[in-house]
Amino acid sequence: MSWTLKINGIPQTFEPSEQPAALADLLKHLQIDQAAVVAEVDGQIVPRADFEKTLLQDGQSIELIRFVGGG
Amino acid sequence: MDLLVIAGKSFRSRLFVGTGKFASATVMAAAIDASGTEMVTVALRRVDIHNPCDNMLSAIDRTRYQLLPNTSGARDAAEAVRLARLARAASGIHWVKLEVTPDPYYLLPDGTETLKAAEILVKEGFVVLPYIHADPILAKRLQEIGCATVMPLASPIGSNQGMRTKDSIAIIIEQATVPVVVDAGLGAPSHAAEAMEMGADAVLVNTAIATAADPVRMAAAFKQAVEAGRLAYEAGLPPKSTTAQASSPLTGFLRNE
Repeated sequence: MSWTLKINGIPQTFEPSEQPAALADLLKHLQIDQAAVVAEVDGQIVPRADFEKTLLQDGQSIELIRFVGGG
Repeated sequence: MDLLVIAGKSFRSRLFVGTGKFASATVMAAAIDASGTEMVTVALRRVDIHNPCDNMLSAIDRTRYQLLPNTSGARDAAEAVRLARLARAASGIHWVKLEVTPDPYYLLPDGTETLKAAEILVKEGFVVLPYIHADPILAKRLQEIGCATVMPLASPIGSNQGMRTKDSIAIIIEQATVPVVVDAGLGAPSHAAEAMEMGADAVLVNTAIATAADPVRMAAAFKQAVEAGRLAYEAGLPPKSTTAQASSPLTGFLRNE
């Protein structure tokens, strides 16, 4: 069964073969450098140290945030 | 010049620099260097999934500068608190420039929501630097609940209009027991000098540097202006008078008077 994860507000479908087990796998799949981001899964902040052990499930909403220039 | 102390941390430079609107990371890094600043603000945004390698902030040397994450984009207290917590999780930094700006047209800060968010964040151990309208009563309230500074605006963010709230900022400076950082709207080095001459403890500048024809030279100009203004304040400006006060002696030998 395919999964849908809402990533930064946009639903993305993952076929069984490509479903990320943990948050760290998702970041790898998206080619995002872990050191540069902070994540929320269903509104809960996930510290970077927990990216490997945070397991994902179908239907979750994931926010990936980083620092940018600002005043 | 005196050191600026915020929440127990000393700063030699009284110029804080924002990192938005720069044409490139290289120009930003050079401008920050030229400004002499020790505190730079940053914002949080969603990662662009289609351009995940865009990491402008890798150009900032975190051993040289205190990073000050802001809560820009927050429209109420809950959003601001969420952004502050995310910033802390992302960086380990518990300093936050608290800004709550529900109106996208003038980007004026919501004092009620700012106070609400500040109360929560101070309790959670954040060093809170709130961006506010130049409202002396609100400044006092924020100071009383434990904010590390108050940051009244000179004029709307990015407007380059200078010290339009000067009279109210003077009252805030007179009454404050925490550092007063004049933020937003300073469009020229003379505006920054004006704030510093009045006794502001620091100023925060972004747009005027980042969007100048030569941001690096403009950063250097702001550095000098902030230093000159502070030095003048410490030296003690003489009082103003409505009539002339002769600088040369008016000896009477030219005429029999």
